[in-house]
Amino acid sequence: MTKEQMTERMTDTTPPDKAPALITQFASDTAHKLPETVVPAMRTLDVDVYYGDFKAVREVSVGFGKNEITALIGPSGCGKSTVLRCLNRMNDLIPSARVDGDVFFHDKNIYDEDVDPVEIRRRIGMVFQKPNPFSKSIYDNVAWGAKINGFKGKKPEMDDLVERALVQAALWDEVKDKLGESGYSLSGGQQQRLCIARAVAPSPEVLLMDEPCSALDPIATLRIEELMLDLKERYTIVIVTHNMQQAARVSDRTAFFNVRLNEQGQRTGYLVEFNKTDQLFTSPNEKDTEDYITGRFG
Amino acid sequence: MTNTRDTNLHFHAELDGLERKVLSMVDRAEQMIEMAVQAVTKDDIDLAARVIALDDDIDRTYFEVHTEWTSLMARHQPLGSDLRRMTILLQLNVTFERMGDQCVNIAKIAQFNAGLPRVERICDQIREMGDLVRPMVRTAIEAYVRGDVDEARLLPAMDHPVDRLNANMYKETVAVRDNPQLLEWATKMMMASRALERVGDQAVDFAEQTAYLITGERAEFDEEGLARAFDGIDD
Repeated sequence: MTKEQMTERMTDTTPPDKAPALITQFASDTAHKLPETVVPAMRTLDVDVYYGDFKAVREVSVGFGKNEITALIGPSGCGKSTVLRCLNRMNDLIPSARVDGDVFFHDKNIYDEDVDPVEIRRRIGMVFQKPNPFSKSIYDNVAWGAKINGFKGKKPEMDDLVERALVQAALWDEVKDKLGESGYSLSGGQQQRLCIARAVAPSPEVLLMDEPCSALDPIATLRIEELMLDLKERYTIVIVTHNMQQAARVSDRTAFFNVRLNEQGQRTGYLVEFNKTDQLFTSPNEKDTEDYITGRFG
Repeated sequence: MTNTRDTNLHFHAELDGLERKVLSMVDRAEQMIEMAVQAVTKDDIDLAARVIALDDDIDRTYFEVHTEWTSLMARHQPLGSDLRRMTILLQLNVTFERMGDQCVNIAKIAQFNAGLPRVERICDQIREMGDLVRPMVRTAIEAYVRGDVDEARLLPAMDHPVDRLNANMYKETVAVRDNPQLLEWATKMMMASRALERVGDQAVDFAEQTAYLITGERAEFDEEGLARAFDGIDD
């Protein structure tokens, strides 16, 4: 499938009820299904992730609502970051990693052989735990995101794009007079917002955030959280966070993952509960969720 | 998950302590209801003064609980059943404080009515309401302590006769309208009746909160709940 065909496939606006049954329903677990009133931007169906022979995550079926923020929470080793990285084929970069099951984006399984992973990562951007600006100017940090994804515009168009991305990342006012300075000259919180600007520059549809505030101070954290709430008007956001209060503050829905030892003594992560965030944090349906959020956890 | 352990021990210890402090008010509240009813039905102004003094204790505990509650919330931001328990403790704290206030209202009526002529039938009715309301408070608290939603659901049925007696008080008051002094006394007793009826309602409200804590679902004990509560009761 060419990039153009892929783009066409992904922008297919076929209503969910007209699409084939297999990819509009969760075959194995309806408990984690989005309500019918919510349009899913992405869905996973029975996803297992292996690192070599080790099954890190099993049978994850969950939907991510369009223009919603979905938080993935759970103890260390539960596989929440692994699941996040599945959503834009970031696990492809790990040689031993293998994904079974389906990850649907616009009703196309992104793991099909004819799908271009680079195009996937353009459409589904990622922000990492630690701010990782390049050793380039602020301007070039943002422009890079667009250039590597084939942006062919001239300087004025690129200027517009950089400004637009920095405005969206709530950084423009702070850097507009020093675009030529190094990205490293910014504070940690500003660097993370620069990375968000870089991620939104190629106009993705989904933003994946892997603990984006864990290296930031509380004020910078709140700025990023405010930014996320603004960004969800335009993007679908999936965030992995260790901070339950952060998940409670920013997300519309929350998926709680837990980890269990299998017969071989290996720790495998699995999805316990997917629910509206206010429901999950006040009256969760599952005892494991309740134990986790109240700290009764071993 | 096996071997669940509490990684939030300090918070849970503080929460338990806060709960003990709130529940320490139940005995005083019951005692105040009994004393207030006695004061207003036996024309005992000394007892009325003691009720008003006891309310200072309840108010002091109320402010202490409120301060500790705010601190716990700010420091720990509890979630799940801990959050629901915090919510209900705040509600219970307010409930006891208001019960104390209702008892003070009754005690002040006792002071106002001192020396006025009285109708024993109305006094009997107020005593009966007091005898009905105190077990309601006790039952609501025990339902909370035991985490027994079925016991909490008994409250609407227990409240029913209290409401009926309160409604009847108007007729009793109208019946003495030809005697201005008796009418003045009875009008105040109608307010005492209303205060006891409010205490009963507060016990029902608290039972609803208890059901929320246990089930995680908000439910008002409406007619359906009342019907359920009457299930299996013969009369």
